[in-house]
Amino acid sequence: MLRDMFKKTYTLIDTKYRSQARQEPNVPEGLWRKCRKCGEPIYGEDVKNNYYICPKCKAYFRVHAMRRIEITADKGTFREWNREMEFSNPLDFPGYEEKVQAAREKTRLNEAVVTGQCLIQGEKAAVAVCDARFLMSSMGHVVGEKITLMVERATREGLPVIIFACSGGARMQEGCVSLMQMAKTSGAIKRHHQAGNLFVSVLTDPTTGGVTASFAMLGDIILAEPGALIGFAGPRVIQQTIGQKLPEGFQKAEFLVEHGFVDRIVPREEMKETLGRILKMHARSGQEAEAGLKGEVNVETILPGVETAAGAVDKSEDELPQGGKTAWDHVQLSRKSDRPVAGDYIEEIFDEFMELRGDRYFGDDGAIIGGIAMFHGRPVTVIGQQKGKTTKENISRNFGMPSPEGYRKALRLMKQAEKFGRPVICFVDTPGAFCGIEAEERGQGEAIARNLFEMSDLKVPILSIVIGEGGSGGALALAVANEVWMLENAVYSVLSPEGFASILWKDSKRADEAAEVMKVTARDLLRLGIIEDLIPEKTPASGDNLGEIAMEMDKRIGNFLGKYGKMSSGELQAHRYERFRRI
Amino acid sequence: MFTKILVANRGEIAVRIIRACREMGIKTVAVYSEADRESLHTLLADEAICIGPAASTESYLNMERIISATVAAKAEAIHPGFGFLSENARFAELCQKCNITFIGPSPELIHKMGNKSEARKTMMEAGIPVVPGSKEPVYKAEEAKAMAEKIGYPVMIKASSGGGGKGMRISWGPEDFEANFQNAQMESVKGFSDDTMYLERYIEKPRHIEFQIMADKFGHVVHLGERDCSIQRRHQKVLEESPSIAISKELRKKMGDTAVKAARAVGYENAGTIEFLLDKNKNFYFMEMNTRIQVEHPVTEMVTGLDLIIEQIRVAAGEPLSVTQDQVKIRGHAIECRINAENPAKHFMPCPGLITNVHTPGGNGVRVDSHIYSDYRVPPNYDSMLLKLIVHGKDRKSAIAKMRSALGELVIEGIETNLDFQYEIMNHEAFLEGDTDTHFIPTYFPEYGK
Repeated sequence: MLRDMFKKTYTLIDTKYRSQARQEPNVPEGLWRKCRKCGEPIYGEDVKNNYYICPKCKAYFRVHAMRRIEITADKGTFREWNREMEFSNPLDFPGYEEKVQAAREKTRLNEAVVTGQCLIQGEKAAVAVCDARFLMSSMGHVVGEKITLMVERATREGLPVIIFACSGGARMQEGCVSLMQMAKTSGAIKRHHQAGNLFVSVLTDPTTGGVTASFAMLGDIILAEPGALIGFAGPRVIQQTIGQKLPEGFQKAEFLVEHGFVDRIVPREEMKETLGRILKMHARSGQEAEAGLKGEVNVETILPGVETAAGAVDKSEDELPQGGKTAWDHVQLSRKSDRPVAGDYIEEIFDEFMELRGDRYFGDDGAIIGGIAMFHGRPVTVIGQQKGKTTKENISRNFGMPSPEGYRKALRLMKQAEKFGRPVICFVDTPGAFCGIEAEERGQGEAIARNLFEMSDLKVPILSIVIGEGGSGGALALAVANEVWMLENAVYSVLSPEGFASILWKDSKRADEAAEVMKVTARDLLRLGIIEDLIPEKTPASGDNLGEIAMEMDKRIGNFLGKYGKMSSGELQAHRYERFRRI
Repeated sequence: MFTKILVANRGEIAVRIIRACREMGIKTVAVYSEADRESLHTLLADEAICIGPAASTESYLNMERIISATVAAKAEAIHPGFGFLSENARFAELCQKCNITFIGPSPELIHKMGNKSEARKTMMEAGIPVVPGSKEPVYKAEEAKAMAEKIGYPVMIKASSGGGGKGMRISWGPEDFEANFQNAQMESVKGFSDDTMYLERYIEKPRHIEFQIMADKFGHVVHLGERDCSIQRRHQKVLEESPSIAISKELRKKMGDTAVKAARAVGYENAGTIEFLLDKNKNFYFMEMNTRIQVEHPVTEMVTGLDLIIEQIRVAAGEPLSVTQDQVKIRGHAIECRINAENPAKHFMPCPGLITNVHTPGGNGVRVDSHIYSDYRVPPNYDSMLLKLIVHGKDRKSAIAKMRSALGELVIEGIETNLDFQYEIMNHEAFLEGDTDTHFIPTYFPEYGK
C-alpha cells in the first residue's frame, strides 16, 4: 500500500559532502569461482582453505599438482626430482610440440606429473602427482619416464612411494610409445614391490585408461578421493558401445570400493593424516620381523613348542575351568546376539585400526573385515569374521557368512602382512562359509582351499582366536595358524550340530545331542589338542565384560607375539606345518 | 563523500540508515529478500534489489549476492547495520577487495574482537581491567575445574563462539561444575561447531554498562557516554537508558577514559561499543567489544545530540570526527524500549503476522524508529523487533514519565507484542528507584524471567 508513495533522495542539497570521484566498485578477477557442481559462486580463498572442496555443495575440485603437494607434504620438505625433462615427439606428430608448449605455459609445469620426495607427518616418502591441466595428464614418454625414475630411485633408497593418479589415459600423440609406458611403469612398481617396499596409490578424479590399467591399480594400498571417476574405459565410450544407460554411481570411487578395487575412500581433508598413519605403520624401524624372514630354519628348536593332540591330552581335567554347562549351552551362547563381534575386540585391543577393503577381483565382503592396526606400538594385520548386531547390519554382514571375495580379501591382507613382516591376528566367528549360488559361481571351495594352502607357509606369525562360532571350513580358512585359541563359550566344529544331526540321524531337532557327541566346546578341543588355549569367560561374553575379556586377550597376544616374534620365517612355517601334520 | 550507499540489512535499522543517507543527500540501495518485498526499507530506498529467498542464509547473509548487488548498483559503500554480516570479518575483507567501503572497522579488527578470548587477552595487555578468569581457552572439564578453583566460585562458563546466552552456564561450586561445563560445551559444539570454552568469575547482580566509542582515521577517539542495558531477559536486552543511574560524573570519566584507552589499544576506527560489567562496589570489568552500531544507539544520540549513523558514514568516507571529547556533553536522560512481536504469556514466543493497525506516539522528545505500518505483514523469518520507542527528558524521572505516556499511546494491533510488559516495567516501583541490575526481571517479574 505504500509502494511508490515516498519521495526519493533529493540529491542537489548538501554539496559540501560532494567530493572527488571515487573508483567504482568491482569484483576482481578470480575472487569468485563458480562451482561446477552446484553452480553457486564461491570465494576463492574459501576454496583454497577448504582443500579445494566447494564450501557449499562439498564437491571436489581438481587440485593442481603443486597445490596437492602443498596440502600433503610437511611444510617446506618437498624436493623435486627430474624437474626438467626433454620434450619428445617420437611420432613427429604434427602440432604436438605446440600443444605441449601451450600446456607448459598454462600450468608452469614441465610435464603432466611432478615427482620428488617429501616428509608427510614426519615420514619420508617419494611422491608423484599428476596434474589434469596438462593434456588431461595423459601418460606419454616423459610422464612414464618420470614416474619410472622416481620409483627406481625410491626402490634404491628404500623409500615408500605415493602416487596421486589422475589421467585421461594414454597420450594419443605418442602412439605405441605411450602404450609402452604402462608396461614400463608397472615393471618398476614390481621391482619396488619385490624389494619389500610400500606403494600407496591415491586415485583422484579422473583416473582412467592406461594409467588405471598400470601403476594406479598396483598399490599395496589403494586410496581414492570421494566421488572420483575411476575406470579403464570411459563411461561415455561404454555407454555408446553397449547402447545402455549406465547405473547411477557407475565407476565412481564408491563403486570401486564395492567391487573390491579400492581399500578406502579418504576425504581430502583427512588424506595427509591417513597417509601419515600408513607411512608410520610401514616405518622401517621395527626391523626384527624382517630379520626373522631371513633366518635359518631350525626345526629342532621349535618342535617342543608345538602342542599336538598327544601333548595336550595329559592336561588334567581340573586344570580346565568347569562351566557346568552342556555342549548345547555353549552352542547357544556362542550364537547369542549380544555377544561381542570381531569389530568389538579389534576396537578394544588395538589402536588406530585402519580397515582395508576389497579382494581386487570382484568385491568387498562385509562378512570379513580386515586391516592394519597397532598393538602396543607395533603394526599388526587383523582380520575378523564380522557378524552384525541389528538385522540391517546383519544383512550387510551376511550374518557373518563369508563369500569367496571375503576369503580372497583376507588372503590379500595376509600376503600384505607377509611382505611387510607383520604378524596376523584373526578373529573367527562364522556359522560357516556362505552357502549360495553366487558363492559357488565364484569358487567358494577354491577360495577356502587357497587360504589353507597359502596360510600353511606364510612367513609371519599367525594367531587365530575363535570368539563365537567356528563353523567348519569357513572358519578354518582363517585358522591355519601357529596357535588357535577359543573363548570359553565359543564352539568350533566340522558342521553345525543341526546339520550333523540331520545328516547322521535325519533329525535336525536332535542338535543338542549332536553337540555333545561332536566335541565342539573349547574345553573338549583343548583336550583334543586342536587348540592351544582357552580364554575364560567368567560370565558369558557381552558388552558388559568385553573390556575384561579384551584385557586378558591383550595380555596373551602380547605373550604370543613375544614368543613367535623371535622365530625365523622358516621356523614359523615349520611350526605351523607340524602343528597340523601331527593331528 | 559517497554518492550512493547500499544498506545490507532490513527492518528498523535499514530504515534508520536510509533516513540518515537521505539527510546527507546520499542515494540509497536497499537489498531485500523475497519475504521483504513490502518491507519499509525496500519501499523507502532510492533503489531496491532482490537478493534471494526468505532464508537469511540465502539473502541477508549471502555475501556474494550482496557484493554483486553493490557492484551492479555502483554503490561505493555498504552499511551493514547490526546482526547479519555486520561483524563478519570475511565480508569486510571481501568489500575491501572489491573496492567497496565497508562502513565499520577493518576486517582484522572485527576478527580480533570477535574472538572473545583473544579480545580479552588484548585488553589485559592494554591494562584494561577484566573479570578474573581463564587466560587460555579450555577444552576439558577436569582442567577447567582446576582453573575454576583458582578463579573462585561462582564461575561463569562461556563458549568462545557463544552469544545470546547460548553456551553459557553458571557454576556455584565444584559439585555442579562438570555438568554445567559439559552442557555449555555441548551447546557450543551444536550451535557453533566450536568446543573452545573459557571461564570467568561470575559477578553477582552486576550492571551491564556499555560505552559508545567513535574513532576516525586520524586517530581521534571519543566516548559518548554510557548506556545502562542491565534490564535483560535471558541475556537479551529489553530496555536501555543513558546515562546510567549508577554512574557518577567521576566514574563516567574513569570508565570513559578506559573505554577510549581500550579503543586506542586496538587502533579502532568507526563506531564501536565497549561493554563493561559494573559490580555492587563500582568495580568495572571489560566484557567485550562490539564492532558495529548497536540497537540501542538512539539513547546516546538523544543525550549527546549526535547522529551516530551520519558520524559512521563520515568517518568511513575519511572525514574527521565532528566533535572532540570536550565538546561531548550529556544532556538530560533518554530511555529506549524495544517493542517486539512476541508473546510474554507464552515465554516470549515470536508471533509474526499481519499488523492491522498502528498508531505511534509523538511530541516533544519522543522518537520512533521502526519499519512497521498498518497492513504490514511481519515475516516469520527474522528477528522479532518491530519498533524502538525512545524518549528524552530533562532527567530520569521526566524521561520515565514521558515513556509511560508514549507507551500508553502506542497501538499495534493484529499481532501480540511485549508492549504491555514494557509498560509494566516502566510503572514498576523498583525501576523508578533505579534498582536495575541484570537480575531486575527475574527478581521483579519472575513469571517472565524464565
